[in-house]
Amino acid sequence: MIEFDHVSRSYGRKLAVDDLALSIPRGELFALLGPNGAGKTTTIKMLVGLLRPSGGAVRVCGHDVARSPREAHMHLGYVPDEPCLYDKLTGREFLWFIADMFGMPRHVATRRIAEEIEHFELAEFANDLAESYSLGMKQRLVFAAALLHDPSVLVLDEPMVGLDPRSVRIVKDLLQEKTHQGMTVFMSTHTLAMAEEMADRIGVMVRGRMQFLGTVMELREHMAIESTSLEQLYLQFTTDRPDSPAAEAAGEQV
Amino acid sequence: MTAPALAAGDTRQLSHDAEARVFLRLRAMLAWRTIQWMVRHARLRLTLVALLSLVFWASLYGLFHEAFAFLDSLHAQVISLLFNAFFASLMVMLVFSNGILTYGSMYASPEAKLLLTLPARSESIFGHKFRESLWFSCWGFVLLGSPMLAAYGVVRGAPWTYYALLFPLMISFVIIPATIGSICCIAMAAWLPRLRFHATAVALAAGSTAAVWLGWSLIRSVNNQGITTAWFEETLSRMSIAEHKLLPSWWLSSGLIEAARKDVDAENAWASFIESLKFLALLVSNGLLLQVAGGWVAQSAYRLGYSQIAGEVPARRNRQLSRFDDFLTNIGSRRRRPLRLLLVKDLRIFRRDIAQWSQFAIFFGLLGLYFFNLRCFNYTHTYRSMIGFLNLAVVGLILSTFTTRFIFPMISLEGRRFWILGLLPVHRDQIVWSKFLFSFFGGLLPCSLLVWLSDSMLGVSRGLLVVHEICCLMLCLGLSGIAVGLGAKMPDLRESSPAKIASGFGGTLSLVMSSLFIIFTVMVVALPVHVFAALAAMAPPGRSPFSWAAGPWGMTISVSVVVVVGLLVTFIPLTLGIRAFRQLEP
Repeated sequence: MIEFDHVSRSYGRKLAVDDLALSIPRGELFALLGPNGAGKTTTIKMLVGLLRPSGGAVRVCGHDVARSPREAHMHLGYVPDEPCLYDKLTGREFLWFIADMFGMPRHVATRRIAEEIEHFELAEFANDLAESYSLGMKQRLVFAAALLHDPSVLVLDEPMVGLDPRSVRIVKDLLQEKTHQGMTVFMSTHTLAMAEEMADRIGVMVRGRMQFLGTVMELREHMAIESTSLEQLYLQFTTDRPDSPAAEAAGEQV
Repeated sequence: MTAPALAAGDTRQLSHDAEARVFLRLRAMLAWRTIQWMVRHARLRLTLVALLSLVFWASLYGLFHEAFAFLDSLHAQVISLLFNAFFASLMVMLVFSNGILTYGSMYASPEAKLLLTLPARSESIFGHKFRESLWFSCWGFVLLGSPMLAAYGVVRGAPWTYYALLFPLMISFVIIPATIGSICCIAMAAWLPRLRFHATAVALAAGSTAAVWLGWSLIRSVNNQGITTAWFEETLSRMSIAEHKLLPSWWLSSGLIEAARKDVDAENAWASFIESLKFLALLVSNGLLLQVAGGWVAQSAYRLGYSQIAGEVPARRNRQLSRFDDFLTNIGSRRRRPLRLLLVKDLRIFRRDIAQWSQFAIFFGLLGLYFFNLRCFNYTHTYRSMIGFLNLAVVGLILSTFTTRFIFPMISLEGRRFWILGLLPVHRDQIVWSKFLFSFFGGLLPCSLLVWLSDSMLGVSRGLLVVHEICCLMLCLGLSGIAVGLGAKMPDLRESSPAKIASGFGGTLSLVMSSLFIIFTVMVVALPVHVFAALAAMAPPGRSPFSWAAGPWGMTISVSVVVVVGLLVTFIPLTLGIRAFRQLEP
């Protein structure tokens, strides 16, 4: 479903993503972890076609995102870290625009919009202008828009920011159900508890390189620590490394 | 229970036409909602904009009517020359303005980020965003150009077909430079991403230098030989480049002149109409061709350019400027240090916000250029003084647009970061005072320099120069007081866009109050010099009650009134603002 084929991306002289080789099959929920500036957002931007790789290729359902963006986007749903809506459109009008962009017939769009409004409990404010929404309301609407066309691949960048506990539960249940139905989810997050609870596999990225790829159990084995939370494992993993930001800062102080 | 999966065929890639229709529907929806919102929430602003536009249009119409009535008696080639020069310079400006608008809407806006993650063609996104920038370009062009062309039609006694062709000709013309600007922007973003600012700056500098050189040489030529046949021929040859037949500006002016031709003979009238239709066809066909080219460039370069720009490394900060900031922070007593820290913070934000300093530099730079050229004209004593007062008003009006657009929203924007300031050992009053001082000193320096430049070039008396400088000082105080005071009294803490904050009720009120204050100030000091002096001159010597008012006493009273009113206008809104800001609960 998702394939990073030796992907690199640099900003000037700085290599933000270095030779990323990763394949995520159908129905998997993959969580990308890493400290700030590790290259997670760059990876996601390449996956959704906002950035082009300096080297390698990103493929979604077999379509190269840089070469065939429209074909790839037909299979993609994207929830960015900062929700972008049209201030002067109502939530319902925004969903209609998204449905139109995916070429949904009118009767299908009507049904899907009603379902997503119900699902994300948007009915109360769906006819208000988006400029009056709180961050959480905007985030719920963006989730509804991303799932409207029932994509094969869902990309989430810090998905829980601004959501209240009830909305977080709705999203978690939905992600589990969708992955069981075969949807692939690629999620970047700092919420380690969520990654531990939901992810089939995790990837830990440090300074543009994927330093660990596997299940939480495999990370435990790798670190040779038993019955420890992902949070502790992650902190130890990212701090103990000689090239970790913490280690470098310590080195600079010395 | 989640939604059932869609069946195969429930989603599909849209055709070109279907995609264009979706974007048109989106544009129509956005326009409709914006109009609805303005009618409900921004009636004052809407009414003011409509009223001021009407006044502006009518004034321009009157001015052009007089000018065309005068020019109509001269050689017919003058009109053609004027039209060609006017539309050619407008064409160059439209290329630049549309290039900049395209950059903002296609690369820097959050909407672009959304659209690029949807299955939309690059050329459709270009079309959608182009319509937006075309609207901005057309609006200004129609507001400026329509009174001129309507006046021309009336003076020439043009047939109705001229008026029918006016808007099609104007709009089809605008499409050409607008598309060229957009194409240049997309191409530069994709293929010259690092040089785009340099290339634009070099092109702008070259254009400005050419315009200044041409204007300067024409004025010098008038001063040397007056408006003679030799001057006219010299001018024609200098401006012959604007009359090149391959320029769209020439097609437009020729189309307009043909359409306005009034022939008694029906056959000739029909021929003129057909001729102007041919020019319209030329404009439309070239506009459409360029649109196709624009779509093609967008298709091959938009996503690449977006990726290039999104992946840029921010420029490193200038160390010398940081030292200057440190100097400002540490100079003076420790007790006032928090106030200076707040000032330095605002100075840094101003420096790093291109929209702020570039507009500041462009407007004040153009004004300076105009003032610098004032010496070239030989005015009488009365005109010199009158123009001095008008220039003072213009400086004030430009400053008021800046205080409304950039100073008024500062408190609202601070409100969003209130938790930072709230935790600092800074009294709330100091925050408001820091904005006031920033605005006052920031405005005083360029404004007083401009007023001095204007008066020096005009050669007005030293006494009047002092009066103008006092007025300038009071304007800077008053305008800063209004903007900061009202900004603190009516903050909009939910809004993050300064443009939207400034265009709300508070911002509009600030602009209206600022304009009234400027008009009052300039009129009060102009009274003794012009009105009372004229009235005194009309009465028999020594018997006019206006004699003393036109002298130094009258001026002293006028200046005193300006100072008192200026201080009231400064401190009343500021006090109200400080009180409101103390009570503010973000």
